[in-house]
Amino acid sequence: MKLHIDPRTKLFMIFAVSIIVMIPAVSPATWALRTGVTLIPLVLLLFEKKYIPALAFTVLYAVAAVLTLLFISSESTGVLYALLVGYCGIIVQFMPSVITAWYAIKTTKIDEFMAAMQKMHMPDGISVSLAVVMRFFPTIKEEYGSISDAMKMRGILFGGGKVGKMLEYRIIPLLFSCVNIGEELSAAAVTRGLGAPVKRSSICELKIGAADITLFAVLTVSTAALIILKTGIVG
Amino acid sequence: MNDKKLGVRDFITVGIFTAILMVIEFAFGMLGYIHPYVVAGYVVILPLASCIPMMLFYTKTEKFGMLTIMSVLIAILMFVMGMGWLGAPLIIVSGLVADLIAKKGGYRSFKCTVISNGFFSLWICANYFPVIVTADSYRQGLLEAGYTEEYCNNLFGAINIYTIGILVVVCFACGCLGAVIGKAVVKKHFEKAGIV
Amino acid sequence: MIELKDVDFSYKGTDEAGLHSITLTVNDGETVLLCGESGCGKTTLTRLINGLIPHYYKGELSGSVTVNGRNIAETELYELAGTVGTVFQNPRSQFFSIDTDGEIVFGPENIGMSPAEIMKRKEQVAQDMELTPLLGRSLFELSGGEKQKIACASVSALLPEIMILDEPSSNLDWKAISELKNIISLWKSQGRTVIISEHRLWYLAGLVDRILFMRNGVIEHEWNSREFAGLDTDELKRLGLRPTKLEERYIREFGDGIFGSSTEQMRSYQSKDGDIRIRDMFFSYEKRRKKELAADPDKCTLSIPELDIPRGSVTALTGENGAGKSTFLRCLCGLKKSCTVKLDIGESVYSGRKLLKICYMVMQDVDHQLFTDSVTAEVCLSMKDEDTAKCNGILESLGLLGFKDKHPMALSGGQKQRVAIASALAADAELLLFDEPTSGLDYAHMTSVAKLLKQLSDQGRTVIVSTHDPELIALCCDYVLCLERGRVKYFGEV
Repeated sequence: MKLHIDPRTKLFMIFAVSIIVMIPAVSPATWALRTGVTLIPLVLLLFEKKYIPALAFTVLYAVAAVLTLLFISSESTGVLYALLVGYCGIIVQFMPSVITAWYAIKTTKIDEFMAAMQKMHMPDGISVSLAVVMRFFPTIKEEYGSISDAMKMRGILFGGGKVGKMLEYRIIPLLFSCVNIGEELSAAAVTRGLGAPVKRSSICELKIGAADITLFAVLTVSTAALIILKTGIVG
Repeated sequence: MNDKKLGVRDFITVGIFTAILMVIEFAFGMLGYIHPYVVAGYVVILPLASCIPMMLFYTKTEKFGMLTIMSVLIAILMFVMGMGWLGAPLIIVSGLVADLIAKKGGYRSFKCTVISNGFFSLWICANYFPVIVTADSYRQGLLEAGYTEEYCNNLFGAINIYTIGILVVVCFACGCLGAVIGKAVVKKHFEKAGIV
Repeated sequence: MIELKDVDFSYKGTDEAGLHSITLTVNDGETVLLCGESGCGKTTLTRLINGLIPHYYKGELSGSVTVNGRNIAETELYELAGTVGTVFQNPRSQFFSIDTDGEIVFGPENIGMSPAEIMKRKEQVAQDMELTPLLGRSLFELSGGEKQKIACASVSALLPEIMILDEPSSNLDWKAISELKNIISLWKSQGRTVIISEHRLWYLAGLVDRILFMRNGVIEHEWNSREFAGLDTDELKRLGLRPTKLEERYIREFGDGIFGSSTEQMRSYQSKDGDIRIRDMFFSYEKRRKKELAADPDKCTLSIPELDIPRGSVTALTGENGAGKSTFLRCLCGLKKSCTVKLDIGESVYSGRKLLKICYMVMQDVDHQLFTDSVTAEVCLSMKDEDTAKCNGILESLGLLGFKDKHPMALSGGQKQRVAIASALAADAELLLFDEPTSGLDYAHMTSVAKLLKQLSDQGRTVIVSTHDPELIALCCDYVLCLERGRVKYFGEV
């Protein structure tokens, strides 16, 4: 079954998850809420048949959560603990947002995204540039792959031990190719009418469906509940 | 064609450079989890690491708005990546100020570019904002989330209402220094190659 | 109708060649080929028609350009989108979307067409160009040929009356080129005007009505298709053009093994002593342990148990896109860690990381392997100890001495390639690998690459070059290695 989620709902999901991860979970109730919310993007990933990323994320998160609960207390010190804290910190704090963002980016097509941005009255400058950012991440990955291959062949992967050189050898060829690709991309886009002073149409019908409403409700309620619980405890 | 107004080409340029900047930011940002002092060290690391693409971007900037749009994109991306939204207005403000300063120099004056990049770099400090404003609850939150006392002490020792002033100044200085270094590299490579 | 009257153009700020007093009329429904050496102004001429000049590329323009009665200089680019469509050279850089469907409808959406109409067009275009298997896929996982087809479809969806193709075949293989040919004839049959700027001429003979030969920004000759077909090889060579007829000759020369579709394995080369031996080359994209790979060669993406390549020779590596040519080259130079390949050269055995020291690949996009700010520095970077005399010697032999202080990225494509070769020589690589070094080159540059490869093999280096250009094979290769689905299909002398 394919579940269609509106890009705006995805955006709201990112918003809600980013609030939720910033509220620390202490009591079992908040823990449960937080974990529950974290499960939402996971379930959505399963609907998209992205089983491997979903599994990888679950394992990482579970390990980090268990480690946090079992081994780390406020009193622990030392290098190993610092590293452990770092690792668990990344996972627990940022993985839910990262996985939500990853889900949103992976499952949103550029024209769907542009249509949603238009519906939300974003200026063209921002929606076009953001679309380019989305399109460029995979491009940078490809280009960087070739560059690091070339560095391996030259034996300069570590820049002869100099940090400046290491950075320079990586960034310079990357910038040259990105600038070139950008020139060609702009030329190809303008000859196909991008930038026309008309309202851009879209074949993606943006509809708020039952799934969207459910998601919206669940997220709002859990966020509100978490805030109430939290302030209740603090107060 | 109106040459004053931003066009598709400019938007695409902004998009590309924002993407590059973010990739660099993520790559170095991960270092922060090794030790909280590194988080404070972003003010030095990030402006220097991103100086080459930034300066190349400045050579491609001729109109008002490009730097501002870039800061809006950074704010959105930071938010999407779970950095919260408290810093977002500050990121946009630093972008806007940077844009105004660069505009004053007609986007060609080296002095203005250096100062502008200094201001632009302050977006990094904007991400410390939640740490400072909500220091008490943030700290408690971290502790409850499983961070150690040691980590928190270090983090709040490095970033607090007293050090933020220093951090901002250091960040600004590194932004300016980065501009000088970046400009030299741009000269060495891109101008020599005839790209800009 | 396209009309250019007394057009002069020069680019602002670059030395890129301009155009001089161009007067040209192209009638509706005509198919026109622009040919000539690189830098002759073909691309510039196409940019005049699609409006990129003067709206995108700035410079000095005089004279008038009118397309379907509209003065280009006064028409905004987006207004031209429905009239003139352009397919560019590089399939990698011209798409805006991430998925194929989004890319096809990109143009119509930009000009605000109604969704129902867009859907109708998308289906029509997909049907006409046989794109249905490509729909709903990520553009990043498509091959160059498939990307180029999507680019054609995306332009076509706007239904422009005029189609411009700027060196569209540069990054395509044989099969993809023949599909491109079909697309062009489809457009022709729909009565559209088609203008193609191109170096590879063989696939266009019989398709184009009029051929314009350009040199130094001027249209020097004009032929109709019959006259053009009548040009003999010497005449073409004199003009610096690639052959117009290829297929029969090369199929005769290189046998069915390369261009035909027979699957039986042929091996006409008998190994000699002193050959370079490639052994145990097994590789799979699914991560497996090395032992499993060797035990189960059927499941490997690349499976070559043993292959002897004569030392000091030039071997052409051919095969369709996806046959494993690039994977073969990357495994051989040690870039694929999980590949089990071993290389016997004389008494020594190389494998794993050691391959990186003995093999060097010149990539298709050579920009990725230039790191420094001068040609000399680039060559010295490959040496353990800087040796200026040796460096100058290498540069001299490659004709680069005059450019030694220039920035590598300021050089032309061919010169950049030679800089990459120079750094390979400086690193004392025994085996030199080239990934499609001549795609997108004109005849003169292709000949000079061929000479260079010969020169390298005469110096005792072993060269393997992956290519889709039979012209190149005829010019310089001693052996042909043909791959099919990651297996050796044929290895023999030319």
